[in-house]
Amino acid sequence: MTRGPLFHEQTARQRIAALVDPGSFDELLPPPERITSPYLAQLGIPVSFDDGVVIGHAKIGGRKVYLAAQVGQFVGGAVGEIHGAKLTGLFKAAARDRTPCIVIVESGGVRLHEGSAGEIAIAETMRAIFECRAKKVPTIAVICSDIGAYGGMGILSTCCDFRVMTEHGRLGISGPIVIEKWMGKKAYDSSNRALVWKTSGGKTKYLLGDADSLVLDDAGAIREAISKLLGKSSAVSLKAVKARQAELAKRLKRFGQTEDADAVWKGMGVRDIEAASLASGPEFAAMAKREK
Amino acid sequence: MKKLSSRALLSQLFGTSAKGIAVEKSLVTGYASVGATRVCVIGTCNGTYVDNAAALHLAAQVIDCIEHHPKMPIVMLVDSAGQEPNRVAEMLGLASYFGHLLNCLELARRNGHKLITVATGQAVGGAFICYGMFGDRIYALDSARVGLMPVEAMSAVTKIPVPVLRKLSKTMPSLEFGAHPFALLGGVEAVWTLDDGVAAKLEKAIATASTEDNRAELGKKRGGRKLALDIRKKVLTESAR
Repeated sequence: MTRGPLFHEQTARQRIAALVDPGSFDELLPPPERITSPYLAQLGIPVSFDDGVVIGHAKIGGRKVYLAAQVGQFVGGAVGEIHGAKLTGLFKAAARDRTPCIVIVESGGVRLHEGSAGEIAIAETMRAIFECRAKKVPTIAVICSDIGAYGGMGILSTCCDFRVMTEHGRLGISGPIVIEKWMGKKAYDSSNRALVWKTSGGKTKYLLGDADSLVLDDAGAIREAISKLLGKSSAVSLKAVKARQAELAKRLKRFGQTEDADAVWKGMGVRDIEAASLASGPEFAAMAKREK
Repeated sequence: MKKLSSRALLSQLFGTSAKGIAVEKSLVTGYASVGATRVCVIGTCNGTYVDNAAALHLAAQVIDCIEHHPKMPIVMLVDSAGQEPNRVAEMLGLASYFGHLLNCLELARRNGHKLITVATGQAVGGAFICYGMFGDRIYALDSARVGLMPVEAMSAVTKIPVPVLRKLSKTMPSLEFGAHPFALLGGVEAVWTLDDGVAAKLEKAIATASTEDNRAELGKKRGGRKLALDIRKKVLTESAR
């Protein structure tokens, strides 16, 4: 079977190009406009002409979508004032035009070099996401890179209607190195990749229901997953939040006391941990009896 | 600055009606009055960390308010050092617990509940993002420690020397830590002094709040965050072509 390049190894612009209808992407505030961070310039740190996020609109299966792709190679995809304002503007445009909005997340969260400005930008983008959701405009976070979605971007991702993940993707708030520093290496060895991915990786998030699809590390597979979600939205209703409250309480009760890294997998019906670890995303999804 | 107990602070804000508010494991939930206005209160105190259980506890209070007290304003108090950095918390999806709390608050907003935040102590990082910064209008006490992180912590992570960051923060309030610089960015509407009639100010804040997010406008007007609004507008204009 021949496949294209691995999605997690592609750059932000390659990812967008691979996901959308050929030639349909129009970038907004593209690099030639040279909108760069004054904070980084003051600190003597190299700037980037897109400030680490590519935004624009395109078509997927003939349908217009807004898209953002964060650039992990540039300060870890972290959100500064400009980066964040581009995201806020994009979601607001999506709400205005009632056009689905997809964010390909690759970010450790707020860009520390810009202090609180990035933090506020993330909070503003969350409000813009909920503007979309109020109009039933689908919002989708694609979390398919090793850097994943951490810090404020992890929280932001959970505000979207849906999350598409691969086994490479990671979703969380505090990263493994921070937790290791806090709790000690015995509690969390950040160099133990299997443990890190069992804690925050796509497979675990899919099992728990925090990721809506778990797909191959391939643009075609991710595009297919997105296509299926473009016509849907996730309700913000009393019934929905009450159901979610009960589900999250049950999860905490079942797994909250365990130190066992495999507890969630076993508890959610994965019988053969070894085989499940080696399985591809879709194979894993088929093996696991995910509770609905 | 003197450190108030959580009870003393609640009394300042809610007078004798503060007795209706429970403080348990540094989480604040209940119903009280601000002047003549009945309000629902959720929050943190003692600089506690917010974990999965805490997020659920606060969410439950928001849901109760939506169900039983239509359109009652919700006051959110923030004194938290951040999210709980814990492996099990992460494994269980702490981000999703925070997302759930935000969903509950969004439902409240849509149902006509005003959301007013007061940062009373520490309002740092993920713990501020997971509910306080989602308010319609956000206020801070002048003694509150508001922002991404103190300069020393920023220096430790970025490896940029503290004196360099301090010098830059003179012209870039975003790098400074505290209620006043955060207000310059538009992150808070106004900074309050505790002894200066906070209850009356809170009552007025509830009466005048609107759901329109005005932080980028404020940040530009106050000069602390000059780019955000224009960049956002540029995206909106160019995408409309």
